[in-house]
Amino acid sequence: MKKIISLVLSVVMVCTCLVGCGDKTETWTVTCPWAPSGVAAVVSQKAASLSTEYSKDIILVADAIKGDAATVNTWVASTKVSDPELVFAGEGLFSITSILDPAKLQFTYEDFSYVENLYSSIFVMSADAKLGIDSIDSLKAYMEEGNEISVATNGATGSEAFLAAALFGAMGYGDQLKLVAYSSAAEAAQAVARGETNFAVSHQSQILETFQQGGVTMVCAFDGEDIADGPFAGVEGVGKHGYPYFRNRCFIMARSGADENKVAALKSLYGQILADEEVATWLSDTMLLEVDTMTEEQVLEHIDNVKNIVNEYYDLVAN
Amino acid sequence: MLEYIGPALQQLFTFENFLWMNLGVFIGSIFAAIPGLSVILCIILFLPFTYKMTAIPGMMFLLGIYCAGGYGGSVSAILINTPGTPHAATTMLDGHPLSKKGRTKTALRIALYASTFGGIFSALSLLFLAPQVAKIAAQLGTAEYFLVCLFGLTIIAGISGKSLIKGIISAALGLLISCVGADPLTGYDRFTFGNARLYMGLDLAICLIGLFALVEILGKAEGKVGPLKLDTSKIKTEDKITKEEGKRMILPAVVSSIIGVIIGIIPGTGASMASWFSYDRAKAMSKHKEEFGHGSVEGIAAAEAANNAVTGATLIPLLTLGIPGDGCVAIMLSALMINGLNPGLSLFTTQGDIMYAIMIGLIFVNIFMFLQGRYLTDMFAKIVSVPQEILTPIIVMFCFAGAFSVNKSYFDVVVILVFAAIAWIMKKLDMPTVPILLGLVLGNMTETNFRRALLLTDGNFSIFVGSWYCIVFLVLIIAAISMIIVNKMKEAKKGVVK
Amino acid sequence: MRDFIRNMEEKLDSMGAKLEKKEITIPTDLAAAAVFFVMGIVLLLLVPGQVTVGKDEVVSGAAFPTYLCYIMIGGSILVAVKDILKIARKEEVDTKTINTLVEVKALIIFGILVVFWLICRLTGLFVLGALFCAVSFLLFFRCKKKSYYMITITFAVGIWAAFRFILNVSF
Repeated sequence: MKKIISLVLSVVMVCTCLVGCGDKTETWTVTCPWAPSGVAAVVSQKAASLSTEYSKDIILVADAIKGDAATVNTWVASTKVSDPELVFAGEGLFSITSILDPAKLQFTYEDFSYVENLYSSIFVMSADAKLGIDSIDSLKAYMEEGNEISVATNGATGSEAFLAAALFGAMGYGDQLKLVAYSSAAEAAQAVARGETNFAVSHQSQILETFQQGGVTMVCAFDGEDIADGPFAGVEGVGKHGYPYFRNRCFIMARSGADENKVAALKSLYGQILADEEVATWLSDTMLLEVDTMTEEQVLEHIDNVKNIVNEYYDLVAN
Repeated sequence: MLEYIGPALQQLFTFENFLWMNLGVFIGSIFAAIPGLSVILCIILFLPFTYKMTAIPGMMFLLGIYCAGGYGGSVSAILINTPGTPHAATTMLDGHPLSKKGRTKTALRIALYASTFGGIFSALSLLFLAPQVAKIAAQLGTAEYFLVCLFGLTIIAGISGKSLIKGIISAALGLLISCVGADPLTGYDRFTFGNARLYMGLDLAICLIGLFALVEILGKAEGKVGPLKLDTSKIKTEDKITKEEGKRMILPAVVSSIIGVIIGIIPGTGASMASWFSYDRAKAMSKHKEEFGHGSVEGIAAAEAANNAVTGATLIPLLTLGIPGDGCVAIMLSALMINGLNPGLSLFTTQGDIMYAIMIGLIFVNIFMFLQGRYLTDMFAKIVSVPQEILTPIIVMFCFAGAFSVNKSYFDVVVILVFAAIAWIMKKLDMPTVPILLGLVLGNMTETNFRRALLLTDGNFSIFVGSWYCIVFLVLIIAAISMIIVNKMKEAKKGVVK
Repeated sequence: MRDFIRNMEEKLDSMGAKLEKKEITIPTDLAAAAVFFVMGIVLLLLVPGQVTVGKDEVVSGAAFPTYLCYIMIGGSILVAVKDILKIARKEEVDTKTINTLVEVKALIIFGILVVFWLICRLTGLFVLGALFCAVSFLLFFRCKKKSYYMITITFAVGIWAAFRFILNVSF
C-alpha cells in the first residue's frame, strides 16, 4: 500500500513538473468592466474565441465583471506589471468620469499601456412608442409642452448618461430630465420598451429587436450625420442640429510598464483577428459596430476631444 | 421552444458534458452519504472548478452534485440510521426498519427508483414551466422586481430556525455585507475602508466558503472524530422488490413528485419540507398505514420522490427571476453569472440553446444518478468510511485553494477566515447563518430595484401598488407572512400545552 | 521518542481534563441581542464616513444600509425584551454551555488555518502551506498511522497540482 502511495505521489510530482516546463503559451485574461451581456463583453468574447486560430503563443480569455470604475480600480490595484492581464477602458472613464466625478477613479491613463481599440459605435436614443417621437423636431415639440421625462442609461456617469444629459441640456430642457441608471445597456433598452422610462440611450444592437417589434421609435443618433446604412439607416444625427456627440470606443489596455514586446504581440494578434473577414461582417451586421483599430495618438486625440466636449457642457450636465 | 431543442441537443451531447455530469453525480453521492458533510458544502468546494468551464459542463457538474445529493443521503439513512442529508431523515423512518428486516437492497432500490422518478419529473417540469414563467418575468418592471425580492426574502421564515427575529437580523447582516463595494446606482464606494480589494464587494463564493465550509472544520473541536463503519455486505443480498411492492410505489411516487415540484418552486421551502409533507400525504392515502415507521415501501418512495422532485423546480425561480429556490442553487447562480448568463427571459431567447441544453441535461443527470446508484452504491458505502482525520485537512486545502482561485488573491483567504470566525460566533449564539446567504444573494437586486423605483417616481411609494403584478406579489407576501405568524402561534401553543 | 510523545499526550490530557470542567452557560438570545445591538450601532455610526452620497439623490446610497442597521438594532431590542420578560416571569430561557476545552481546540484549529495562510502569503507557495495543513491536522487528531500521513500529503500535492495545471491558478 505504502509503495503504491509513494509511487502515485512521485508520478503526480513528476507529471506536474513536466507539464509546467513544457508550457510555452501564455494565457491573457481580458477583463471587461461592464455587463457580460454588453457589446464590449460580447466582442471581447468573440476575439478571445479566435485567439488560438491566430496565435500559438497567446490565448485570450474573456472575463466580464460589471462595476465600471470600481472594476478598473480593482484591476489597477491588484495587477502587477508582469501579470498577463488586460482590461477594457473607454472615454467614459478617461474623459467623462475623470471630470464629472473624479473621486470615483483611483487611476489615470498613465497607469495603462495601450494595446488596441476594437470598434467604434454610434449610440442611439429610442423613445417609448406611445410617445410617437421619431425625430429631433418631434422631441423638441414634446419637450416644449413642459413634459418631465426619464432617460434610461447604462450607469450613472458613463458615455450614454453624459450624451443624454448634454443633449437635453443643450436643447434647454435639462431641468425636465431625469436620468435613471441601469446596470447594463440591455436593461436600459428593456426599460424603455416596457414603458418604465420615456427614453433610453443604448448601442444600436441592443434596441434593434424592440425597435423591429414596434415597442420603441428611434429619435436620434449621437453622431455628426444621419446613420447611413443598416436597420437604423436614416436616423438623424444630433451633430446636424449642433448638439454634442462622439462615438464610443473601448480600448484594450495592459498594465503600465508591461513588456513592450508582449504588448506589440497582443496588438498584432488583435489586428489579425479584426482583419478577419468573418469578424468584420459579424461586427457590422450583427453587432452594428465598425472595426476601428487605432494608434495611441488617435486614442489620446479621442480622449482629449471628449474631454473638451465634457468641459464645454460641464455646467449644463453637472447641474 | 422547439427551435432550441436541436441546437441544444447538439451542444449537450459531448463527451465533456457527460463526463462532468457523471463526476458530479459521483462526488455528490459521496458527500451526501457522509453524515456531517452536506451537498451545499460540496457545491461550494467544487464551484471554483466550474470557473474555467463553459456554462453547460459547469452546470452539468454542479447539477450532478445537487441531484445526487437528493439520493445519496438515503444510503447512510438506510444502512446506519443516520441521514446523510437533512431531507433523508424522512427516508430513514422506513428505510432503516426495512433494512433491519434483512431487505437492505430493496430499501436502497426503492429509494433509487423513487429518486430517479422524482428527479426526471422535476426536470420535465423545469423544461416546460420555466419558459412560461420567464415570459411573465419579462413583463416585470423595477417596482415588481423589488416586490419579487421581498417575496424571496420571506424565505427567511423557512430557514431561520426557532426565532424569526434572529433570522431577520442575520438576513440584515447579509444584506449589509452585500452593500460593501461600489454603490450599484452611483458607483461610489461603500464600506471599503480605502481597501482596493473591497471596491468590487465581497464575492459570494468566498463568503460561503467561510460561512459554511470552514466553520465545519472549526466544529471538529466539538467532538472526537471516528471512522464511520458501514456493513456493505448487507447490500449484496439477493432480495428484490416484489410486483405488489412495485405497484404500491407508483401512486405515492407520482403524488410526491407533484408536491415536490410545487414546494420547490416556492423559494425557501426546500427538500426537507417536501419530504415530510409528502410522507404525511402518502400515509394518509395509504391502505397500509400500520406499516409506516416499520419499513413501509410507500413511505420510502414518497420521501425520496419528493426530495428529488425539488431539484429541478428550485431552478425555475432562479433561471427566470434570479431568486434562488434554496441555498444550493443560490451558489449555482455564480456559475451562471460568470458565464454571462443573467436570469430572465433573455436566457430563454438569446441564449436559448444553452438554457435548453442545461434543462435537458438535468434529465440525463437523473438517468446517470440511477445508473451510478444501481451499480456503485456498494462503492459509495465504502467511501463513506473515509476517516475524518484525512477528510478534514483535504476540505481545508480545497477551501483555501478555492478561495484563492476566485480572484487569485490571498486577501480572499483572509475573508474566508473572518467569515468562519463570524459563523462560529453565530453558532455559539444560536443565530442562523443561512439567512446571511440569502441577504448576500438578494442584497444588490433588492436595493437597486428599491432605489430605482423611488427614483422613477421622485420618492412616491405608490409605485409599489402601481400594477396588477405588484398587487399579486403584495398579496403573496402578506399571505406568506400571515402563514408564518399563524404557524409560529400554533408552535407556541403546542409548547404551552406540552 | 515514543516516551516523549506519550508524556506530551499525558500532559495535554491532564490540561484538557482541567479545561473541560470549566464551563460557562450563557442565555443565547440575550447574548445575541447584545452582540448585534452593538454591531448595529457601530455600523450605523460608520455609515456617514463610509458612504459617499451624491447630490440630489432621491434615495441615497446611505439609505439602504441605514435601514438595515435600524432593522438589526430593532430586532436585537425585540429579542432582548422577549428574553428579559421571560426571565421576569421566571420562565425558562434558551441557554448554551460554552466549554473552555472546545473553545481552546477551536482556537488551535483557527491557529492552524492562520499559519496555513501565512505560509502561503509569505512564501507564495500554496503547496508548502498545504503540506503544513496536512501534517498539523493529523497531529491535532493525534493520528499515528503513517499511511494517513502519506495519503493526506499526496492529496496536498494533488490539489495544488489540479489547481495549478488544470485551472491555471499560479500559487
